[in-house]
This record gives sequence, C-alpha cells and structure tokens, in this order.
Amino acid sequence: MAGQPRESGEGRKRDFLLTAGIILGSLIVLNLPPGSQRSIQLFLRETVLSPLLEINGAIARMRERALDFNVLRAQMDSVTGLVAAGRTLAEENRQLREALGLSERERHQVRAATVIRTGTPGAESIFLLDAGSDDGVRPFNAVATEAGLLGQVQEVFSGRAVGFDWSHRDFRASAMTPDGRTYGLVEAVRGGFREQDRLILRGTAYLSDLSPGEELLTSGRGGTFPRGIRIGWVAEPAEASAGWSRSYYVDPAVYPGAATHALVYLDSVADTVAVEPDSAAGPGQADQR
Amino acid sequence: MNLRVLLLCAGLVVTHLLLHVALGLGKVAPDLAVVALLLASRALGSAGGAATGFVLGLLEDAFSVVSFGANVFAMSVVGALAARTRELFVGDSIPFLAVFLVLGKWGRDVLVWVVSDSGSRVPFSDFVLMESPLLALYAAAAGLVARLIFARGSLSR
Repeated sequence: MAGQPRESGEGRKRDFLLTAGIILGSLIVLNLPPGSQRSIQLFLRETVLSPLLEINGAIARMRERALDFNVLRAQMDSVTGLVAAGRTLAEENRQLREALGLSERERHQVRAATVIRTGTPGAESIFLLDAGSDDGVRPFNAVATEAGLLGQVQEVFSGRAVGFDWSHRDFRASAMTPDGRTYGLVEAVRGGFREQDRLILRGTAYLSDLSPGEELLTSGRGGTFPRGIRIGWVAEPAEASAGWSRSYYVDPAVYPGAATHALVYLDSVADTVAVEPDSAAGPGQADQR
Repeated sequence: MNLRVLLLCAGLVVTHLLLHVALGLGKVAPDLAVVALLLASRALGSAGGAATGFVLGLLEDAFSVVSFGANVFAMSVVGALAARTRELFVGDSIPFLAVFLVLGKWGRDVLVWVVSDSGSRVPFSDFVLMESPLLALYAAAAGLVARLIFARGSLSR
C-alpha cells in the first residue's frame, strides 16, 4: 500500500519550511524562561480551559456534598469532643505562658478551598485551588486536609492558586514525632510508577528507633509549614548511614488523588522558636511561639 | 480535510479535554488528543499536522510545571511525521490504523520522555517499555472504536 506525493515541488518546499518553523517554535516554547511559560499557562487556564476547570471544581464540590451524613456526623462528634477537651487545655496553657512570661501562641488563619486536579500529562503532582490572592493566599502557604498535610501553594492568581502535593520532587517538610524526640526531613521518593510514590523521613539521629505506625507531624522548623500537621506514619526502615543517620519510609496521611477539599494556612509562620530582637527580659528568656 | 474527519477529530479533542481536565481521570481515560492529531494529520499535511500538534500540546502543557513545552514539541513532531505517512501508505484499513495509532501514541510518549526534565521523569524501562505501550494500545483501541462508530468508510476521501 505504497502512497504517492500529493503536492508539487513548490508546495512540498513550502510545507517543509512551515513544518520546520513550527517544530522550531515548539523548541523555543520548550526553552522559554519560566516567567514566560507561566504567562502562557495562565492565559490558557483562564481562557480556553477555564470552563473545564469550572466543571472540575463543580464535580469536586458535588462529590463533597455526596458524603455520607453519618460519616460527617461522626467526624463532627469527634471534633466537638476534641474542642471541649481543648478548652481547659488552652486555659492551662495561657496561665502557664503568663507565669513563664511567654507571648501568646500564634493563631493560624485558614481558608477553605476546593482542590481541583487535572489528568493531563506532566500535571501529576499539581493541584489547583479555587482560592487566590483575593482570599489572602500567598505562595508557599501550607495546604492540608482533615487527614493531614497535602502540599504547598506555589503560584497565586486572582481567584485561583496552583500548588504541588507531597509527591512532587521539590516537596520537603521538617517532621517530628508527637513527643518531639525525633526530628527529620520528609521528602518524596519516586516509585517505579507514579502510583508507587511515597514519603521518606531522612536525617533522623542514628540512635533514634522509630517503630512502624509511629505518627509524624510537621515540626514548624523552617517556617513554611505550621507545627503539628500530620504527615503520615512510619512504615519501615529505609536505609542507614553507618553511625550517622537513619531513614524511614512513611505512609502518607493524605493520598493526593482523593483530596477534594483542603484548608490553606494563610500566614506563613515564623520559625516556631524565635527570640524577640529587643527583648528587655534577661538572657535565656526566649519568645516561644 | 473533509467534514467527517473534522467533526471526528474535534469531537475526540473535546472528549479528551472533558475526560482529562474536567473530570481529571488521568490515565484511566485514553489519550484521545493523540488519536485526533494522528487522524487529522493524515488529512492535513505536514505543516497542518505540526500546527495541530503544537496547539494540542499547548493545551496539554497548560498544567505542566516541570516540563512545559515537552508535549508541544512531541505532538508537533508526531503531527508532522504522521502526515508524511500518507505519502508512504494509502488506505485506512483497520490493521493499518491500529498500528499507526499505537506507534503514534508510543512515539509521542518517547519524545515527551526524552525532552522532559530528567529529575521529574520516571525510569526509561518502566515508562517507555512497559507503561507507554499499554497506554498506546488503549488509545488505539479507543481511536478505532471512535473511527468505526463515527466515521465509517475511508477518511482520506
């Protein structure tokens, strides 16, 4: 079934030049500076793809509304119990802080947002939020669901924000055990397939011995993620640098594909332990937030 | 390009965007954009195929963070090469179309892998040799079904 050229020599030459020009253009697009690439992406998302994103958001909201009432009731009962128990703790904490001369604990403002995920190639670790700069969302704000840490905001626009979840190669979070004995840095490790991506806790002390199932929380170090957001649970030891440090695989608390609703922590927090610059207090009296 | 092919390709692109962007189905849904590109390219010629690939690649890359432009390049090249096949092969028999769609989709995935950021791509053997051929078969099957349902007869007529 051999074919035949359908065009004249002149037509073929023009076709070849046009084709070469378009492929050259695609190479230019591939090597554009990040700022220009983001502008093109924003233009496409806000024009051609905007109705599709609206549909995606509407479906995510419908999925939330379809949650079983009994499950929601159970979750609300749990939260009510926690809040009731926390009231006395908060008062005790306030009194102790007052006695120790510590400043008031920092409160985090949060903004609820719908998580929109697309299934296009190259967007596997990316999510969109239907909240943007108008709502106070800023780059590097933490994003969490009721189960734990989802990821981080990267780009913010009016009414929309783009973030990456924990499976992104640039994701890092300082982690600790709830008792504060062990600290480390959590990052994503790539599986053979993207569905096999998981977390790893690196840099823990060599003598630390974490058992499977132990919970890991954000430590607040570095100031990006507020302290105390659940990251996941220790799964199994991964590797050890002889006499130096240990690593553990971590089962994530949140599976990004299942997230439809999230909270954005609006204010980037300062490091959890900060010293007031012009502290009139004596040495050693730090401002613990 | 006749009206039948135009409508089929437009329908495939709209369906692809609905499945991947509006519903966020990811790999669960077949890659109908490549199927549309391959079918359109054989009717449009090299420049038309490359231009169609460029536009479809831009839409695909609108959400890509680490390798923006990889789909633009891959689909432009695939569109141009797919158009050249009409000079080598005539006819739209089902076996030919199946091989054409499988190779087109697989070729696009290989090109995307080659030009993607090395830090973000999965290992060559896992993606190009295992995952991508399966995705190519899936896309080809979907393309053939669409072709048989919506555009019976020769596409190049």
